[in-house]
Amino acid sequence: MKLAYYPGCVAQESGKELDLATRWVAKKIGLELVEFPNFSCCGSGFVDEANRTLNVAMNARNLAIAERAGLELLTVCSTCTGMLRLANVELASPEMRHRVDGALAKIGVAYQGTTRVRHLLEVLHEDVGVERLRAMVTRPLTGLKVGAFYGCHLLRPSKELLSESGEEPRSFEDLIAALGATPVLYRGRVMCCGFPILFVKEATANRIAATQIEDAKAHGADAMATPCPLCHTSLDSFQNKAEKAVGHDLHMPVFHLPQLVGLALGATPEELGLPRHLVATDSALRKIGQVAVPA
Amino acid sequence: MAAARVKVPIEVYRFDPTHDAKPHYDRFELDLAPHTPILTALLQIRADRDPTLTMRYSCRSAICGSCAMVVNSKSRLVCQTPVGPEVEKHGKIVIEPMRSLPVLRDLVVEMSPFWGHYRKLEPHLITDPRHPMPADRETPMTPVEVERFKETPRCIACGACYSACPAVEADASFPGPMALAKLYRFVVDPRDSARQDRLVRIQTEGLWLCLRCHLCTEACPKDVQPSQRIRDLKEMAIAAQGATENGSRHALGFKENLRDRGILNELKLVRQTMSPLAMLGQIPQGLKVARKKPETMRKPPKIQELEQIETLYRELDDAPGEKAR
Repeated sequence: MKLAYYPGCVAQESGKELDLATRWVAKKIGLELVEFPNFSCCGSGFVDEANRTLNVAMNARNLAIAERAGLELLTVCSTCTGMLRLANVELASPEMRHRVDGALAKIGVAYQGTTRVRHLLEVLHEDVGVERLRAMVTRPLTGLKVGAFYGCHLLRPSKELLSESGEEPRSFEDLIAALGATPVLYRGRVMCCGFPILFVKEATANRIAATQIEDAKAHGADAMATPCPLCHTSLDSFQNKAEKAVGHDLHMPVFHLPQLVGLALGATPEELGLPRHLVATDSALRKIGQVAVPA
Repeated sequence: MAAARVKVPIEVYRFDPTHDAKPHYDRFELDLAPHTPILTALLQIRADRDPTLTMRYSCRSAICGSCAMVVNSKSRLVCQTPVGPEVEKHGKIVIEPMRSLPVLRDLVVEMSPFWGHYRKLEPHLITDPRHPMPADRETPMTPVEVERFKETPRCIACGACYSACPAVEADASFPGPMALAKLYRFVVDPRDSARQDRLVRIQTEGLWLCLRCHLCTEACPKDVQPSQRIRDLKEMAIAAQGATENGSRHALGFKENLRDRGILNELKLVRQTMSPLAMLGQIPQGLKVARKKPETMRKPPKIQELEQIETLYRELDDAPGEKAR
């Protein structure tokens, strides 16, 4: 299977470990990732708030790049997925279509509206399939209880994005089970991580992150896993701040989706960039009999 | 022929603050047709098992907005939520009172915080006393003008969005989705004269705490789409006043940021959003992250065909009249 790989900004910079793990997993399971160094940022929801039309046009340009190549677009971030899909939805309005087409014409781009946006989670769940993935597992994550954390923009608004469910998805839990781990169901798995207001009102953002981590913990999770690097930033890179917000330690290792898959398919922690996490993943790795990550 | 019945295990939150030290759950099991509304199940429990079960309801037709509760973690009107799909998905139905509002008893909450935010935003028509609306004839609106607020008047103020909102839960200063959606309705009303004041005020009164998680839109029984209307308010607030708060600086800064390289320069965005003093406070955290993730301290490479991005900005952002209208 050949896909136009859209890593998004974070996986190319502070979340480089997500890119590492994605490439490792893609190679292992036979996904061919075609790269396009001309992809721009999806706007992350912020450009949408500052200038809606510009946001749609930039994403229509991204979608047109994949369309020209005749490929589906592979994302590894819930927010990128939502923003790119939203552009397809917004272009259904004749007024928006007219303005965006006009601007795209100035750069010699025409977008027909055919590009399908696929998150890695969906490709693993729908195309590779749970059974085939289970058969590829060489190091089952037996004994590890994992709380999936979906990221809002993969799910909502569900009516526009046609997602599997706005509040009660199951695909990630299915995958976690296929890897040999035990999925943990908790309310927070579909909630917000607080990231969008990390720079607006940090204490509130930290409290929101802490609420979801504590919820996962209260339901027995040894670790969390997310298909969104923005959630990862909030839950991992700022977990120390979340701890401060609630006044006690949380000690919750947080994996990127392809890191969890990679571990079950035999990758080393280094190949998956685990040493780059702010919260050590040792406690989770010990549960699956994997050596500790050097600091 | 009677419809097939299913076993419906229901766990109901019970709390009487005058007697109980803490809440508990009572478990009931009913035999019901799958399409039975949860409200009917609760009324049956009250009639047959426990007359003290306390709840709010009235019309039973999703019009009055009285019976919003939490059903298996989702905020819903129980009169329009059938038992069957819940039991199928969860094996049982757990009913709790709405979140982020004080519990008066069992499933009844005190709504005054919800209404307090609503009143503060003055979501009613404010006309200019110097140009009063004519008393002897109507003030017509064009179909295009009416189209802009076709969703918001559907709101029945049930509070489901407020209960579903993680920003409300974490921060009492956030007005909540319903109050902001109602505010939007008057910001775009051509007869209202307070548009500019409303947009300026809301920037400092919680607009930027919206997480755009869309949980409100998911919970709304009337498809008001509060999260989309809040997004519109943000764009209009920036157009009306520019970036005056962390939130608007962040949105505007993000947009400007992408123009340089086509992808995000993370370090620069911090400078674009925060005051120098606030940035100083972020240095310890920044260093902690950079030790593991050195890329946060560098400029990312420019994308190829960056000139195309520049053209899109010139066409859609610089041109007068192309920004939020």
